Parts: sequence; C-alpha cells; structure tokens
Amino acid sequence: MNNIVLPDETQTDSSSDDETSLVVVILDSNPGQKMLRDSPHVLTHCVDSIIAFANSHLMQKAQNKLAIMACHSKTSQFIYPGQGKHTDVRQVDGQYEVFTAVEKITKKNLAKVLTADSSTVTKESLLAGAIAMALCYISRLQRTKPPGATLNCRILVVTGSSCSASQYMNYMNVFFTAQKQNVVIDVCALDQHLSLLQQGCDITNGLYLKVPQLQGLLQYLLWVFLPEPPIREKLVLPPPLKVDYRAACFCHRQLIEIGYVCSVCLSIFCRFSPICTTCHTVFKMPALPAVKPKKKKKI
Amino acid sequence: MADNDGSTSSQKSSRFKQTNLECKNLYDYLKSRSSQVLEKLYNHPTICLAIYRELPDLAKQYVIRLVFVEQPVPQAVVASWGSQVFSKEHNFASTVLAELTLWQEAAIPGGLLGWILSPTFKRNLKVALLGGGKAWSMSSALEADSKARDVAFLDTYSQERWECVLHYMVGSQQQEGISADAVRILLHAGLMKRDEEDGSLVITRQGFQFLLLDRQAQVWHFLLQYLDTVEERGLDLVECLTFLFQLSFSTLGKDYSTEGMSPGLLIFLQHLREFGLVYQRKRKAGRFYPTRLALNITNSHNKSTPDIEEDHPKGYIVVETNYRIYAYTDSNLQVALVALFTELMYRFPNLVVGLITRESVRQALRGGITADQIIGFLKQHAHPQMLNAEAKQPLPPTVVDQIKLWELERNRLTYSEGVLYSQFLSQADFNVLKEYTESNGVLIWCNKEKRTLVINKSAHDDVKKFWKRYSKGN
Amino acid sequence: MAEEDDPKEYRWETGYEKTWEAIKEDDEGFLQASVADMVQRAKRKRQALKQGSQKLGMMRHLFLLLDCSESMSSQDLKPTRLICTLKLLEIFLEEFFDQNPISQIGIILMQNKRAEKISELAGNYRKHIKVLSHLNRTNLLGEPSLQNGLEMALSSLKLLPSHASREILVIMGSLTTCDPGDISNTIENLKLEGVRCSVIGLAAEVHVCRQLANQTNGIYNIILDDNHYKDLLFQQVDPPPAAVCLESSLIKMGFPHQLNNEGSDEPLTMCMCHVDSTEDGSKLTSGGYYCPQCFSKYCELPVECRACGLTLVSAPHLARSYHHLFPAANYIEVNFNNQTFVCFACQKLFGELDKQVYNCPNCKKYFCIDCDIFVHETLHTCPGCATNPLTFQIALTN
Repeated sequence: MNNIVLPDETQTDSSSDDETSLVVVILDSNPGQKMLRDSPHVLTHCVDSIIAFANSHLMQKAQNKLAIMACHSKTSQFIYPGQGKHTDVRQVDGQYEVFTAVEKITKKNLAKVLTADSSTVTKESLLAGAIAMALCYISRLQRTKPPGATLNCRILVVTGSSCSASQYMNYMNVFFTAQKQNVVIDVCALDQHLSLLQQGCDITNGLYLKVPQLQGLLQYLLWVFLPEPPIREKLVLPPPLKVDYRAACFCHRQLIEIGYVCSVCLSIFCRFSPICTTCHTVFKMPALPAVKPKKKKKI
Repeated sequence: MADNDGSTSSQKSSRFKQTNLECKNLYDYLKSRSSQVLEKLYNHPTICLAIYRELPDLAKQYVIRLVFVEQPVPQAVVASWGSQVFSKEHNFASTVLAELTLWQEAAIPGGLLGWILSPTFKRNLKVALLGGGKAWSMSSALEADSKARDVAFLDTYSQERWECVLHYMVGSQQQEGISADAVRILLHAGLMKRDEEDGSLVITRQGFQFLLLDRQAQVWHFLLQYLDTVEERGLDLVECLTFLFQLSFSTLGKDYSTEGMSPGLLIFLQHLREFGLVYQRKRKAGRFYPTRLALNITNSHNKSTPDIEEDHPKGYIVVETNYRIYAYTDSNLQVALVALFTELMYRFPNLVVGLITRESVRQALRGGITADQIIGFLKQHAHPQMLNAEAKQPLPPTVVDQIKLWELERNRLTYSEGVLYSQFLSQADFNVLKEYTESNGVLIWCNKEKRTLVINKSAHDDVKKFWKRYSKGN
Repeated sequence: MAEEDDPKEYRWETGYEKTWEAIKEDDEGFLQASVADMVQRAKRKRQALKQGSQKLGMMRHLFLLLDCSESMSSQDLKPTRLICTLKLLEIFLEEFFDQNPISQIGIILMQNKRAEKISELAGNYRKHIKVLSHLNRTNLLGEPSLQNGLEMALSSLKLLPSHASREILVIMGSLTTCDPGDISNTIENLKLEGVRCSVIGLAAEVHVCRQLANQTNGIYNIILDDNHYKDLLFQQVDPPPAAVCLESSLIKMGFPHQLNNEGSDEPLTMCMCHVDSTEDGSKLTSGGYYCPQCFSKYCELPVECRACGLTLVSAPHLARSYHHLFPAANYIEVNFNNQTFVCFACQKLFGELDKQVYNCPNCKKYFCIDCDIFVHETLHTCPGCATNPLTFQIALTN
C-alpha cells in the first residue's frame, strides 16, 4: 500500500495562480520636499508613472488589487479606491475601463489633497504614519477575506523627501509589524538616500532602489517593483545593499559602534552619564558593568 | 522475473482509454489558430489584454519590459534577465511567447539575434494600458437606466439561466427555456448524444465530467464549442471573440450600450443572453448588463478564486473523515451531482446526507469520472467551515487518498505491445533467446514449461536478426 | 455587561454563575456576534491594564522549570500534557525573543526528584527549540522536586549583574513535590535575590506554589484548557514591572555593522558562533558581524562576544522593545452617532453594526474596534498621531 505513487502530486505547484496580490502605493506628494520645490512639474511626471505602474499591476491578474495613498506633510489619505462605487466612469478611448477609472479617480483625489493643504508647508513627510495606515487597511482586508483565500500584500513607498530620526520609533514599529504580517515594504527613493527606509526593506525582505534619473521612473518601477516577491527570485534584480544597522545615540544623534544602553528604557548614549535623560533613572558607577560580563562569560 | 504476472495484449489500451473531456485554456485555443488569425486578433486591445493575463509569470515580466523598447533586444540579454536556477521556466516562457508569435526574432546590426515584440501586439497592449485608439464597441454613452439592476439580481438571473442548461443535461424535469440552438451546441460538444434506440438525448461521459467542473470552466468550455460553430452561423469569429473579451473585462452591475453593434454581434448577444452571460430586459432595450458568468471567463485554470471584497457563491459540502458527506442544498441539480459518486442516506428539505463508499466511487469511475474530478468538485464546493479549519487542506486527506486509491485499483493492469515467440524446438534455444532478451531489457513475459516468450514489439526486428544469426551459427 | 469591575478576564473563569446570561442573541437570533463581542471586550480590557510607563525589567533572564515527571503523561491535554506543553513552548519562545530580543532564557527539567539543566541561559531561540524538540521522546519518570529546580535556577541567576531582571517560570503538572529540605528557605532566598517566580499549574492549585508566587511577586494560575494555557504562557511575554531591588545602570554594548570594503571581496572566515561545532552552520563564509572591540566575527545578532564579553546587538533589536516603554495611547470608547463615516486607519465604512467607535485622545481621530485592537496589540503606533505633524512624536516627549 505504501509504495503507491499517487499520480498527480506533481501538479500541485500551481499555487501562485489562485492568490490575490495587493499593492498599496504610497506617493509622497508633499510640496515641501526638495525635489518638488526645485521643479514642481516633476510631480505630474511621477503621478503619471505611478498610475501606469499601478495599472500594469492590475493587468497581471484579474483578481489583483490596488490602493494608492497620498502622503502629505499634514495628513495622509487614500486616493484610490476612495469612497463609493465608480460606475459612472466610461471609456473614452481604447484603454481598459478599470484603468481609466484608476487614472481619473487618482488624479481627482490627488488634486483635492493638494489644494486642501496649501498653508504652511513643512519639509518632513510623515511616511511612517502613512505606512501605519496602509498596514491597518491591509489587516482589515486580511480579516474580511473569504475563507480559503490567500492575499499577498506589499507596500511601495515612492518618495523624494529625506527621512529624519524623529520618526525613528514609528518607523521601527511599522517595520516590525509589516514583518510579522508578511507584508513586504518596497522603497523607491527619487531624490535622496533613505537609510531608515532601507532598513525597513531589509527587515521585510523588500527591495530598495534609489532612482538614478527621474526620466526613466516608469521603467525602473516596472523592471524592479512590478514582479511579485515569488517571481523576484526567478529574475535577476539589483542585489541588496549592505544595510547600516548602527545605532544613533539619543544625545547627539550620531552613529556609534560602542555605546551605553540604559537598562530600564534602552536609550542609547555615546558616553557614560550619571542620569538617563529619557527615563530619569540614576545610574550606578561605571566600573561595575565593565567587570561583570567577564565573570559571566561561559565557554 | 519481475513482471511475469503482467498480462500482455497486442492491441493498444484504446479500449480502456476512452476520451476524456478536454479542457482547453486560452493558450491552447490560440495555439491551434493560424498566424493570420492571430495577427487579426492582436489588432484588438481587449484580446491583447486577455492574452497577456494568460501568459506564464515570467513571460508577463518579459513583455512588460519590452513593451516600451523600440529596437530588438539581444537574446543573450533577455536570457540574462532570469536567474540561472530557473532556466527551465525561462525557456518555457520564451517558447510560449514565440509560439503565439508575440515576439519575433530579429537581427541586430552586428550579427546578433534579438527579440522584438510583435508590433501589432505591442501597439494594442499599450492602448489597453495607457489609452489612445478607438473606444470599445459597447461603451457608447448611455443615460442612466431608470430601472437599473443590481448585482444580486444579476447573480440570481445568470444562475437561473445557466442551471437551466445543466438541468437539461441531467434530464431533470425543468426543460422549458432551452432553445434548439443550445441543444445543438451540446450535441456538437459531445456533452450529449442521441440514444441509439429511441433518439432521445442522453448525457455522455464527457457530459458528466462537464457537470463537475466549476462554473467558470463550464462557461469557457461551452463558449469554445460555440465559437467552433460560429462561422457556420455566418458570424465573424474575430468579431465575436473580441466582443466576448470586452464583455469579460466589463464591470459587474454596470450597463452597456448596444449602439453601433453590427447585426452579427446583435445575434451573438442574443445567444449570450440565452445562456445568462448578459441580461437584457427586452431584445431591443438598447442596453445590456454583463453578469458574473461573463466576467474573466478566460482564466479557467485558477479555479474559483474567491474575490477578496465581493461575496462569492458559498460552498455547501462538508466532508468528514468517516466518509460522510453533508450537502446543504435544496437544488435538485446539486443533489444529483453529489449523488453521482455518493450513496445518499437521508434527505431533508435543505440537507442531504451521503456516504462515500468504494462501490459508489467505483460506479462514478466506471461512468467516466476521474478521481481528480471528484476531489476537485468537493474542494471547490467545500463549506466555508471546512476552509476555516486549522488544517491547510479543505478536505480530510484520508478521504482524498482513498478516492485516489480506489481509482488506482482499477488501473492495476499495464498494457504493452508485444510479440509472442513460441514453439521453440529445444529448451536450449529457449534459454539463449531468453537470456539475450533479458539482458537487453526487452523481455516482457516468459514461461519455461510452455517455452513461450513475449518480447517488446519495438525490439522485434532486433531479436529476429539475433535469432537468425544464432540459428546460422548452429 | 455587569462584570465590568471583575478582575478575571473571561466569563468562564468566574465559575458557574449564570454563564448563559452573558450570551445574548443579536437581532437576527444569532449568538456568534455576541460571543465575538465578548472576546473583543476581553482583549480591550487587557489592553487597558497595560498602560502606564512604570519601570519595566527589560533585560530579562528567565529560567523555565519544566516538570517532566510521570504526571506529565496524563492525557487531559491532547495528545498528552508534555507534547501539548512542548508545542506551546515553541510558539512561546519565538514570541518571547521577538518581543524581548536582548533577553535570555534557560531551561531546567524536573524529573525523578532531580533537576537537570538542559539549556544554559542564552538568547538564541533556535538552540532552545532544538533542545525542546528532543524532549518529546524523554521518559517521564517519578516525582518532580520543586526545591531542587529552584535552587539550580537560583545558583545561575545569582551570578547575573544587578541590572538584570531575574525570573523563573515553573510549569507544574504534578500535585506533589519531593524535596530534600525545607522549601520555605528556598523561597526566602529567592525573595532576597529579587527573583520573580511565576507558576502555571496544569492540574489543581497547590499551596506551596501559591506561596512561592505570592512571596516573590509572581503570578500563579491554573489552566482550564489548552487555549487558556496558551493565554497564560503569553502573559509572560510582556516584560514585568522592574523589581524594587533592581539596580539600573548603563550597559556597554556594541553595534557591529557589516564591513563594507569597496571593491574587494571579503576573505572567507569562520564565525565565532560555529567555530567549535561540526554542524551545518560551521562553514567558511564571507561577511558577518564584527565585534567593534575585538573584531571577532559572528553570523547573527544578538550575541555576547565570546572573546571580550561585549553584548553585540543591532539597533532594531533595541527598537523592538521600545513599544513596551512607549505604548500608543489607549483610545476612548464613545457611542457612535455619525461623528465620522469612515475609520481613519482602515477605511472601513461605519454602519449600523458599529455601536461604538474609538477616539484617540491625542489626535482626536476615530477608529473601528478592529483597528483599536490591531494598533494596540501589534502596531503600537497610532496611525492618526503618526500622520499629524503636531502629535507624531508624542511618545518620545512623554
């Protein structure tokens, strides 16, 4: 009985066919970012590229899903699929009507976001918050999906702003959540190198790419970010860069190799100080911790 | 002697290998068309879109990488896109693209060979993706429908229509509403045949297999058969296919205009209406609603992928490890389907309880249904509770394995063509030939007492030569 | 819901008092919604308890005392107590190191009146899981000795530096213990050393365990079924409040980074973690983490440098624990009367079914109950606050 080979076991690897894949694109539309302050028309180019990319994603499989978010300095919003049903969009040319709808809705809602927020502009885009929203959205879809369905999710961040250490904690929280939920975070940097977001890509097995020239944005998006993670391993893609995981000290924000960590709140300091500035704990003298670990050493 | 209990027969196993239902996907269908037809088809953005979605994963990536490139790309460069470990898949993708003439070889200055996308295909795929070109034939502007139909209505409507066809096939009583035309397609497809004695229509083996397919695959198979006959009806194949794909890319719950459609297409539309692929209030209403049956008809291979946001027809079958089946249904059709391979025990207004037994499964197998089809059917209609269970598989593995084993039970005999050597004059002659054939691995069966050998047919000439040489030598 | 002040988490823990009354039918006569509701309420209540940034013992050193006596072969947990325990421990270990990356665990068996240390205090969870996986074929013999186990754990914990949080978690299947001396002295010693002992009982309450937990500020619970068991284990994942005698200090740590020599390939070298083992991992590799003090190479972090004793971590490891210290603010439950039509985070449309919505006290955004739980259990960052330039840093400044 045991040596019977059941004939069709080899045919079971078609699993990728019945999976739905969702991409949440987070577009940094903050007019305060350096790239846009220099030449505002770049945004139009980026939006066009992103819409074409999004439609290419929808083109891959009939059941693929898409969401687009705009991240601004003051707020982040879902601009596609937005609220309500959109049956009023009709074809005007040979474009597939779903794609037409994506384009129209995205542009309409993005314009709303841009006009609503024109007052004071800060340089910083709150990308961590936008990713947090995207994760909540993904977790709702995961919760409400019909039994038996599999939903693969990833988040693509397209941004030209820099990432600052002030969002460090939020970034780390979203990265670890994404890792836990099996959400891949991809980052496409348009202007500056983003070391924090690069760490996020590394943690979640995503891809990080700093686009060399903006002109070819669509090509970069299609070549690097369009393939789903299972297909990526079958393609030759840019190898992951080595990620710098050194810590920045809380006192001077400098990258350090050896530092002191508060045993109560885990704040990092570059030199010994008698009191922790974060949790106000008073510390013992420094001589002890240097000696004790040697005793502890067990080989 | 390892295989001395294997029986032999000179005829091929055709007697047992009855034709099974052949389910072609879009790729198989297109492969069998001529390149002129393909070229004509590629003129339509919808068809390009449908074809693109049916390509293997890697091929999709190659196409999207090439779609914005004007010059041919050296083949060596394309080959370097895929990683070495998956070169098999890369080759498969390349073959598919070449077979469908989606890309063609082109010489590059410098003597290298390159790939270039078919210009027609490239142009029209871009149109579908980015816009431009003519609007599709059914998207003329419409005023809002005063009596707009919602999704739920369309679902019940299409289900009713389609089940009409299925009911007719299983020969249940409700036979109104199926036209002679539909019957002709069923006959043409070999799903039903005329009984030899009284000429009444009976369901065939393929028909049973058809019933066990999921709805999407049924529609697709049915339409392919329909398309085969489309030219006899004086309709244009390309036109119909284009329209069909437009339909499959439409939005559920939205109305479309019939304005500007050719008379041929209007006839086609009426046929689709009959099977429930579209809903029209009146023949001349000027607008129609596509139903779920018409959507994404092409992706027949991913069975019943539940849409993430919309609710899907619910599964109703619970299978227990003790081979009991509970089917929560009041539809006669569904009960009849379950009864194909189970022994029904109890019947309640909304529930049928059955038992999968060796006898019941063997009966189904004798009827031409395969074990995979039974398992596929159970899987695809599994009750949501079964899917929620912690185990990955929706069905108890014991039941799945047992059904497969029951099928294997029937395939214990293997057939191989052979030539019988007998009436050897001496035991020595027999032994020589036996040793020779054995060492060449062509001996199928031998019997020492009766001095008979059966040898693989392909080796017959060789053995004959050897025998002649041997006889001469003596 | 009348039992709002009830300290117990679940309805069934309150025993046999009118459990049927807590379940209500919804408008269509279904029970499910109301059961789901109860579960969510329980989750929220547990969340609410977590608030308050008291000092936590973040550098945890936990000894797991596992009963491997005859009583563990009982089949009241399926398939047996031991196998069920091992399965749950595997999940527990993974979660524990995920949440407490710079902490260490050791495992001690109590069997046949003896205690045996099968795994030293270490921060590598794969090693522990390997040890555990060998256990399911172990012979379950005799009676356990709680005292021997505790003494062995204590002798190791004693040596630790004073800033380390010391804990013992006992999993006790037996109702008896066979001890060589007076266990109350051991308990007294544990108390003096500030070791927090928690006990999970698989059978029934035992006085000595109750005493142990009470004296050392631990928790003592008896399981009801395997789900409850898992719940109780997972309570141990969150770091406990720092013991009074816990001294705080600054600990010197190294943050190695992968060396990046432009252009040149790194030479193949052996890492210190696999240098004396013959297993698969012990291969020459290029790349790795180098201790900034003595340049020994390691293939994974966190680890304690074998050569110079420096604790090597990467910044994200520390960051993983920050949410214990800076949790997202608890949302306030308010009745829904069209304050907003959509959940800020997940874009869910509020409908008639949502009787309550949840309001963040800092950013004033409204959320649905699922997002409330998701944000506080997993994400630890309020999406509303994080997208608002006025509030996104609030966790730090508090």
